[in-house]
Formats: sequence, structure tokens, C-alpha cells
Amino acid sequence: MSAMHHIDIEVGPARFRVASAWRQAVSTLDQLYGHYPRVEDDLVDFTVRLEPEKPWRKFIRPSVHISGDFWLPDAAPLPLQQHLLAAEMGMNLQMALGWRRHLLLHASSVEKDGKALLMTGLSGSGKSTLSAMLGENGWRFMGDEFALLCLDSGMIQPFPRLISLKNEAIPAMNELVPADRFGPLLQGTPKGDIQHLQPQQAAVETMDVLAKPALLLFPRFGHDGALRNMGKSEIFVRLTQASTNYVALGETGFRALTRFVDEVPVKAMDYQSGDEAQAMIDKLWAELR
Amino acid sequence: MHEKYRLASSDALIHHDLDSMSLIFDRRSGITHMIADPVTAIIEVMGDAAASVAAIAEMLSSHFDVEQEVDVAEIVLARLEELRDLGLVQREGDG
Amino acid sequence: MIKDATPLIDALRDPQSVSALGDGQWSELISIARAESLIGSLAHRLRGLDLPDRVQAIFDDAIDSHELVRTQALWEADCSRRALFYVEGKTVLMKGTAYVAAGLAAGVGRSIGDLDILVAKDKLPLVEEALLDAGWEWVKPDPYDDQYYREHMHELPPMIHRERDQMIDVHHTILPLTAKPMPDPQKMLEDAVELADGLFIMAPVDMTCHCVAHVMADGDFAGGLRNLWDFHGLVTEFSAHNVQFWQQLEQRAQRHQLLQHVRWAAVLSHQLYGTAIPEQWSVGSKIRDRLTLHRLTARDGYGRETRKLTRLIFYIRSHWLRMPPMMLAKHLWTKFRRP
Repeated sequence: MSAMHHIDIEVGPARFRVASAWRQAVSTLDQLYGHYPRVEDDLVDFTVRLEPEKPWRKFIRPSVHISGDFWLPDAAPLPLQQHLLAAEMGMNLQMALGWRRHLLLHASSVEKDGKALLMTGLSGSGKSTLSAMLGENGWRFMGDEFALLCLDSGMIQPFPRLISLKNEAIPAMNELVPADRFGPLLQGTPKGDIQHLQPQQAAVETMDVLAKPALLLFPRFGHDGALRNMGKSEIFVRLTQASTNYVALGETGFRALTRFVDEVPVKAMDYQSGDEAQAMIDKLWAELR
Repeated sequence: MHEKYRLASSDALIHHDLDSMSLIFDRRSGITHMIADPVTAIIEVMGDAAASVAAIAEMLSSHFDVEQEVDVAEIVLARLEELRDLGLVQREGDG
Repeated sequence: MIKDATPLIDALRDPQSVSALGDGQWSELISIARAESLIGSLAHRLRGLDLPDRVQAIFDDAIDSHELVRTQALWEADCSRRALFYVEGKTVLMKGTAYVAAGLAAGVGRSIGDLDILVAKDKLPLVEEALLDAGWEWVKPDPYDDQYYREHMHELPPMIHRERDQMIDVHHTILPLTAKPMPDPQKMLEDAVELADGLFIMAPVDMTCHCVAHVMADGDFAGGLRNLWDFHGLVTEFSAHNVQFWQQLEQRAQRHQLLQHVRWAAVLSHQLYGTAIPEQWSVGSKIRDRLTLHRLTARDGYGRETRKLTRLIFYIRSHWLRMPPMMLAKHLWTKFRRP
């Protein structure tokens, strides 16, 4: 059996042991997660494995096969240059399939005045980019991929992993943020170009500080600026679709989600540019009581 | 038309109203069902008792404004059979 | 780094053994238990011990997760009961669903995948029709697979429910028709025990024989630790309630042409989990046992499969077990030619 190298990573309430056949993959992670808390005791929730697709492919046209404690049978391997993406996908997979301590919503989240703004939608909606931008403009970044809804209190638990910027968001954020917070540019991934961005130090330091959800947006990029109300049935259905563990949580998930839908105001938001979206969000935020 | 139908025990089901629709979470299966009228109304009038299609249709007509030309019993039967497929309603004397 | 699955076996056998684990070893044990589908069983086994907080939280999750699995399995069983209500004859639950339906120790924390049921062979066409009627559909409408299943297998091609997304395997016997032993499904149906709600489970001796058939028929021993943990749970509970259990098991295993297999499973279970078995059963081939144990424990602290060569030996052996050689060649060729 070939040797594995590993690093333990703590993000919010979850800890991952990312094990890789390539030392270089571990050192990239070590560097990018350098300002996250160190896991001293090696006790983790999940193991992610990054291995060559076939043993002899460790060096020849190497490709990374993603697996771990929880895995999907048909996950396609990635080229070795994209090992960072593979690690992030591996961690996402563990959360999506294995995490039960919160209701997971496929949503980004930011916080201001102790209250959380959540944004959810299909990929391309801009939810990840918007959270990254707001995180540099006076909001606390809480997560760009999963919003963790506490099952008993209804609060949002931060999960601020590296932000995964895609395509046009990459140059936009490079204008806002110093270069030393970026990971390598990954070109030609299944999702286009990807570059990882470290959240601000303060967002990482406060990743155990919860916030009460105050507004949920369904952003949609590329349409004339508009706000629309949504019916509770539509919201409920779309959130069950946006949750990876709603069914797995049974009655607990049902209670948490119905409570969220009852209590949290929701808007569908169309926008053409980041600036426009931020102006709309500022206005909505000011109108909240 | 004479068979009686009965709703699953009230311990098993959690009802939650949204806007135009409502939710039923079935504890026995872990499945969330989303229902709209007339199913919501049918479930409401059924309560805990076993009732025939005709009886349910009559209760519906007396509780709600139903248009004259509509065959309420036919609608009730069709909806009850759907609910039976979902395991939310039992027909007396069989599964 | 943990070298193989031994710490998992030790923990199941003697929960106190975990007090020797260091923090990092806990993470490794958990990966191994997840990979072997034994995390729920382990969580229940270690209940009440003083564990590190993060470990306790993982086990609490595993217990909750199993609770939902159990609910869903029982619901699927009930759905099949309703679908088959007008088909005469018994519907017998098998494997994990049977264990939880009967409230057996072997079902506590056990992972459950598809719903497996046993019905009389001459009722298959009716059962098939009733299930299709109630919303189940064929998973793969592939004529080769279909023909292959119907000619050589002990079950219908798998079906999935179009709304609930759950699979059902309908068996008419417990081993592929190409396997050497020819169990007697008629006897299993005859002796099946009715549960309160109209579903059936196998009699204890038959249930044990089926568990063994499952261990041995999957001759590559994939999931072997879990299957043998089932065996351990079943025989321990049955023999505690019935002093004649082992004798009856021997007779029934003979009838199903599975006596050798049952004895071997008992020996392996004894060696792994310390199962109390009749003294005269524990004679066998030491080399074969050692090789099998080597195979069963082949997993490292990252949850990876190890000992590829041993695995390969068992993989080839497993196909050999299921099919006569010429048919194996034909099967692999057909599989190979299709994309």
C-alpha cells in the first residue's frame, strides 16, 4: 500500500482529516488553511482520501480519485493540478452525506449586527461571489457553500471554509483582495476556472459565533434589478431541494425547516452587477426591524 | 362506494400549514407530503373516525361551498385512493 | 497508524478495549467502522462508556441515523405488505429488515440497504405484477441482465419505487441457482413466523442459515465483518432462548446443504467475536481460517482496503462459487463487451 500524508482541518464545528497520496497536496492545504485553528489531538469527524485512480497513475498522467468515510460511487477523478478542488469536494461530500448536527442548506451566509443574511440558489446565481464581496465590505463572512441551521435554536452556525471563486468572480475579487490570500488558479475544471480565497482572519477567528437568520435571498444574476415576494410553499420546496440532509434528519429536520420558513423573511432578487446587488441588500437590511 | 376509509393515527402525522398548501410529516415513514385543497379539506373532515366516501362527500358539501354540478363523491374517492397509495389513509378490511 | 481492522473487532467483542485507544486511533477506528458498515453497531455497543466528546457526538449521530434507517426499512416492508395484500402466500422479510422487524439484537444499529423479501417461486409472476402496479419499476431494462437474472439468479432483477426511490429484491430462494448448495426455500416458507402486522420472518434456524448463505455466497467476503457480526448476534440470542438451538441448526443446515458453511461461519465468528459455539464445531482447516481472517481484517487506518492480493484470491473464488467455470467465462465476456 502506498504511503499517505494527511492534515487535519477544522472549519466551524467540523473536523476533517484529509489524506493524500501526494505530499504536495497536503502542503498546499497546510498553507491555505494556515490561519485556521490547529487540531492538536488528531480527533476528527471525517476522513477524506485523495488517491491515484490506479496505483501506477501516481506519476503518469496522475489523476485524483476522491473518496473517504462517505463517498459516491460515480465521482469522476480530477487531474492532479486540481487536487485542491478535489480536497474541497471531498470535504463537501462528507458534510453533505454525513453531517447530522445541523440542517445543511446549500447557501452562502454573512453576518452584520449579530444577524445573518442567507443567499441560496442554483449555481450561477452568484450567491458565493456575493458572500465573498460582502465579506470584504463590512459584513462578516460565514460561509459560501453550506449554511448550517442549528436544530434546536434555529441559529446559523458559521462554516467559513476557503471561498471557491469561479470564472468572472476571480478577476473581480482580485481587485478587492491582496494576492497573498489566494490559492493557485485552477483552469479548465468541470466548473470552469476556480481560485480559492481565504476568508478574512476575523471571520475565521469568530467561526464559533452564531447569528440569528434575519433574511433569506434567492439571488439571480443577469436579470434586470427586481425584488419579488415568494409563497411559503415555494420557499419550503426550494429549501428541501437546497438541503443535503433534510430527509436524513427525519422529524428533526422537518421541525427545523418549517420553523425557519415561518420565521425568516424571504425575497427573490434579480440583479445585473455586484454593486447593484449590494445596494439592494443594504436597502433591504435597513428595512428589517 | 360503501367501504370505509380511515386516516392514519393522529400520533403518526404532524400537520403544518404553509400558505395555499400544507405539509404532513409522516413519522412512520419519515416522508413529508405536500397537500392542497380538496385533500386538505377531506383530511380535516375525516378526523379520527372511519367514514364512507358518501359520508365524507356530504360533510364536505355541508362545511364548504361546493358547486352544484360537481360530483363530489367521485373526487373524494379519487383523492382517497391517492392517499391510500401514500399510506396516509387505510381502507377498512384491507392493507 | 492502525494496521488492520482488529481494533474494530476488539471493540465489538470487548467494549472496554477502547480505553487503550489514543485520540488519533479513534479517528482511524471510526473510518474503519464506517467502511465496514459497522458504525451503528459499534455506536450501540459502546453506549454508556466514557468517550471523548467528539467521538461521543459521532456515535450519537450514528445512533440517530440508524433510527431513521430502521423507520424507513419498516415502512418499506409495510409498503410491500400493502402492495402484495391480494397475492396469496407469505411475504417473508430477510436480512436487516427482518432483524429490526423482529426486534432482534442483530438489528440494533445495523445498516440496511434494500428491502429483501422471499416469496414462493410459483407466485413470482403475480408478485412482479403487483409490485409494478404499486409503483415499483425495473432498475435496468436490459434484456441480457434480465435473462441472466431469470435463468441463473435467486431473485428477480432489482426494482426501485418511482416515488420513494427505494429498492426491492424479490427472492424465491437464498442462493443463486448456479451455486452448489441447493437450499430448500419451501421449508423456509413453511416454517416462517408471522409478525403482528401480517408480514413474516424466517424461523431462527432458517434465518441463521440464510445469514451464512449471505456470508459465503459473497465469497469475496466483502462486508464479511458485518455479516459475521450478524451471525454472532443471531446465534447468541437464539441459543440463549433455546437449549436445542445448535442441534436444530445442524439438522436444518444439513437439509439446506449448508452444514459445512454454517460450521465454518461459526468458527470464524468464534475467532473474531468470541461467539460461544459447540465445542466439536471448532475443528477445521487452520490455514484456510487464517487466510480468511487475513482477508476479513484487510483495512488500514484511513479506511482503505489493503492486502490486494488476498482480496483478489477471494474475488476469483467468489465468482467460482457462484457460477460453473464456462458460465463464468461467458458472463465476464458479456460484461466486458458491453460499455
